[in-house]
Amino acid sequence: MRIYCRLLGAHLRALLEYEADFWILAAATVLMQVVNIVFLAALFAKVPSLNGWTFWAVVMMFGAVALAEGVGSLFFEGMWRLAWQINMGELDYFLVRPYPVVLQSSSALIGINGLSNIVVGGAMIGAAIAHSEIAWSPWRVAVGVLLLISAIVIKLSINLATNSVSFWLSSPSPIFAFAVHQVGDLARFPLSIYPAALKAGLGIVLPFAFVSFFPVAYLLDEGSNRWIGLLTPLVAVYCAAVALTVFKRGLRRYESAGN
Amino acid sequence: MPPIVEARDLTKVFRRPEKDPGLAGSLKHLVRRRFTDKVAVDHIDLSIEAGEAVAYVGPNGAGKSTTVKLLSGILVPTTGEVRIDGLHPQHDRTAIAHRIGVLFGQRTQLWWDLPVRESFAVLRDIYGLDAATYRKRLARFDEVLDLGEILPTLGRKLSLGQRMRADLAAAMLHGPRVVYLDEPTIGLDLQVKDKVREFFRTLRDEGTTVMLTSHDLADIEGFCRRLVIIDEGRIIFDGDLGAVKDQYARERILHVETEQPVPVEAVRLALPGAVITEGETPNQISVRFDRFVLTAGHAVTALAGLATLVDFRVDEPSIEDVIRRVYSGEILFDAKSA
Repeated sequence: MRIYCRLLGAHLRALLEYEADFWILAAATVLMQVVNIVFLAALFAKVPSLNGWTFWAVVMMFGAVALAEGVGSLFFEGMWRLAWQINMGELDYFLVRPYPVVLQSSSALIGINGLSNIVVGGAMIGAAIAHSEIAWSPWRVAVGVLLLISAIVIKLSINLATNSVSFWLSSPSPIFAFAVHQVGDLARFPLSIYPAALKAGLGIVLPFAFVSFFPVAYLLDEGSNRWIGLLTPLVAVYCAAVALTVFKRGLRRYESAGN
Repeated sequence: MPPIVEARDLTKVFRRPEKDPGLAGSLKHLVRRRFTDKVAVDHIDLSIEAGEAVAYVGPNGAGKSTTVKLLSGILVPTTGEVRIDGLHPQHDRTAIAHRIGVLFGQRTQLWWDLPVRESFAVLRDIYGLDAATYRKRLARFDEVLDLGEILPTLGRKLSLGQRMRADLAAAMLHGPRVVYLDEPTIGLDLQVKDKVREFFRTLRDEGTTVMLTSHDLADIEGFCRRLVIIDEGRIIFDGDLGAVKDQYARERILHVETEQPVPVEAVRLALPGAVITEGETPNQISVRFDRFVLTAGHAVTALAGLATLVDFRVDEPSIEDVIRRVYSGEILFDAKSA
């Protein structure tokens, strides 16, 4: 943990050398999220509810996805470089150091846009909670925090697993992982609006629905089958295990580069 | 004592897609997938004792780097196995990481956006070095490698020579018992090469086991006692460097300049067993001989009896010549001799 902060901190310091870059990136990310909210507001100005889901419930789902993505960018952006690292043989030195290879890879980059995603995502969740009628109890707060952490773990695990596919491909860019990431944006809307095939896809195959929809439904106590949200921590453990297994298998195939 | 590095029956096969050139070829490959297997390392047995300095040489593409990557656990062997200090590279990765140091001359392990000093500090934390040991080692490396001006420089702003010195220190910071140096002097100018070679000698003298691959055989002479030659993935020679020179670098050439022309036939009679060739002028003559059959002193004395000598010079082949002749197939080793 301390070493991870050290590795990330090194990049952060280098990044802060370029102040202008920092502010432009931060502003761009905030702008993207503002566009999202404007879009949602315009949508709900016409239709009072989306398949039974209120404006604030959907804002919370948007917020959860933004927050999870933000954590991914800020702390684990290096995962998106894995394809490059594999192709350029950058894992060579990672493999001879006494620190987990996966963490050396994920800390190789810092996505400062993650910071604004975290802030905006957190604000969206906060505003949605303020407009909800959740009966808060210590137990409910604890469950809420656990669900949030699990949601983030699921998003990260999917990032890791899909980027690890690069061990089997020869492209130096993470096209596959990026495509899956785009699919994840679908999870910002309530799962119930989608046809059955897509429901199965987002609920089981690539469980993005557990990043936002299921935990939010449980917390807000809305929708049918809200108990599924309680499975989120189990899904997180499962996803993390699968992702790490895929990474480890991939590492055995690693062929380095040139001489 | 068991060997510190041991490889048994080590083989690495790379699978390469077989594609016709161009986009059409790539598309065709999508439909009909064909692969060729390239055997980079072919059933190698190698064991290195603690404290040995081993030169690992071979032509481009012979499998040198692949061997180093197998021995350091970066690559998983197709068959065979590697043990470092009795440990398995993939199962005991962390334990092995503390025991080995690796330098790939072509690639840096420094963080490009950090000053070198910061890169070292990150490595110190990764290896869990205490402050006193870290300072002591850094001071010692500074003595030989002259790190002073390098430490505050950003990784990406280093010249090649500076980078290599910094990378050498980085590879040795945790005090590994075994180091693999893969082309550690590539592209360096002579002055830096000398520094780097001096650093190798301090390593060896401190008892570190070193495996060195290099194209520059001057790196090897005077440093390694053991020579391993690899060609097409196979070890074709493994033995004492001095013995190789005795066995395959026996030839000497004596170039003589005389005051008056010397009849070649007379020289041939005086020096049976040597090969005599005429030089560019009638006053020049070259005598090629086996140093175990004839000494240079004998040859000079014999020639002095035939004519007045103006000048003479003896050429002796370097280890480089020997290895060049190995590559070109002039010298064939019968299995693992020496």
